[in-house]
Amino acid sequence: MVSTPNMSVNLGGIQMKNPICTASGTFGNGWQFEGFYDVSRLGAITCKGVSAEPWDGNPAPRLAQLPSGIMNSVGLQNPGVREFVREYGEYLSDLDRRGCKVICQVAGHSVQEYERALELYEELAPFAAGFEINISCPNIAKGGAAMGSTPEGAAEVTRACRRLTKRPLLVKMAPTNVAEIARAIEAEGADALTLINTIPGMCIDVRTRRSKVSRPTAGVSGPGIHAIAVRMVWEAAKAVSIPINGVGGVTSGEDAAEFILAGATAVSVGTQNLVEPGAASRILDELTQWVASQGASDVNELIGAFEC
Amino acid sequence: MVPVSGVHEYPFVVVSNERVADQVFRMVISAPKLAAALEPGQFVNVRVPGNDAHLLRVPLSFASADGREGTIEFVYATVGDATRRMTAMRELQSSSVLGPCGHGWREPTQKGRVLLVAGGIGVTPVVAAGRWLAGMGYDFDAVVGAQTASRLWGIDELRQLGRGQVAMTTDDGSEGLRGFTTDAMRQLLEAHDYVEVMTCGPNVMMAGVARLAEQAGVPCQTSLERMMGCGFGACNTCNVALRNGGYASCCKDGPVFDSREVAW
Repeated sequence: MVSTPNMSVNLGGIQMKNPICTASGTFGNGWQFEGFYDVSRLGAITCKGVSAEPWDGNPAPRLAQLPSGIMNSVGLQNPGVREFVREYGEYLSDLDRRGCKVICQVAGHSVQEYERALELYEELAPFAAGFEINISCPNIAKGGAAMGSTPEGAAEVTRACRRLTKRPLLVKMAPTNVAEIARAIEAEGADALTLINTIPGMCIDVRTRRSKVSRPTAGVSGPGIHAIAVRMVWEAAKAVSIPINGVGGVTSGEDAAEFILAGATAVSVGTQNLVEPGAASRILDELTQWVASQGASDVNELIGAFEC
Repeated sequence: MVPVSGVHEYPFVVVSNERVADQVFRMVISAPKLAAALEPGQFVNVRVPGNDAHLLRVPLSFASADGREGTIEFVYATVGDATRRMTAMRELQSSSVLGPCGHGWREPTQKGRVLLVAGGIGVTPVVAAGRWLAGMGYDFDAVVGAQTASRLWGIDELRQLGRGQVAMTTDDGSEGLRGFTTDAMRQLLEAHDYVEVMTCGPNVMMAGVARLAEQAGVPCQTSLERMMGCGFGACNTCNVALRNGGYASCCKDGPVFDSREVAW
């Protein structure tokens, strides 16, 4: 009988029982998926990005379908930290007790707004195992990718947030200049990196000459961006020593294994959650089988084990 | 209070799938647990096989869900790649469906005569509403509109219920009244008193229906359609602008909305 390999990993201080996480914005706040499987099987979930005050998000339409992907322009619609905790705090605390770590995502239009949101989380969200600072949302006019696309901007937000929490701090990166920006974030004391966010793209209705979503550009996700994401995780992993949460087009255990080999400690499932709600659970099983099939007794042996 | 999702994933098997009008098909599937759980006006989210590069499921309204037979009846129009592939699904072919999604029709706020208004493939949930209302003893009149006669479906299904008159409109006058459903609706509103309007169709049509209903002081339920990512409230992509500001999710808070809540 083949023994089950150890799957637990440490993502910058977040002790996950396995490497599978869910990408922010594709998993609601977890409870929506309890009708499909026991969400507590997962190593962690990342909640939808939340700001200090409520945001309406972008007008409709927010979604377009692409070959092997989708494009979204949600614009971080959220109810604000207080309402988020009031509505979902009980469920998320319970999920934490059930052994699945809860990562809360922080959104803002400015350094001050990131700080304010994080302060509120610190005060109100004891269930958060860590915080993911979203400096890479392509769908808001200020903040998001506008701040995370330069090493200086990324460093400034990371520095400000680092001062406010002792809990593990992750920074979600834009798919650009990843090695340099990763180093800037690491230098400011972040505990881990999440990459990549959606890739800015365009989708034009040639009949009306208008964008198929409500803004000219929006974020592309899905299997069509997986190879790009693996490359960027590999580049970041070579540049820094803090752990990486790999995201981008994961639809199978094999896709997740690619991220692990490229240097990711955790792997987040995103778009596939929408079309196959049980995806993350299935991918966990497939990844565990792959680790065993590699003759490894511990998934950590395979992190960064890509041979080149 | 901990929120609970009632949406589950079920396997289904195709029982039949046939053309019933120009670019309009009727597919019956067997999914017993889901069929027993569905309420009229809700929807389901179907995985259509045949193109792995096409990720999203197809959100579908149903005309009937039979808990005893375990079957669900969809009437759908071919509007894109996924619905065209759906027409190729054959008897005994299987796939996956999510449901029950969203909130369906609400019982009218008072007893009396109901007005149903359907445009295009919006007729499917309207037929479900008619069947449901008839079962509860409501009388109703209906307006069913399409671009042209060859694309009409649902007239016989509504007439068979025997609860009132069923008017037809076509854009080109090839059947029934030449014009829009709102033209026929205006005539009916003058002739009868209604306690509720229930409508599904193109957004611009429902905006007109909602306006007429509000002018007549009749509550109006509108079943909205949006491009959807998940269908169960996880992705926030199917937003509906509200009259009082902000957005609701079509999949979770709808698809049926009180017309007065919506910013048309």
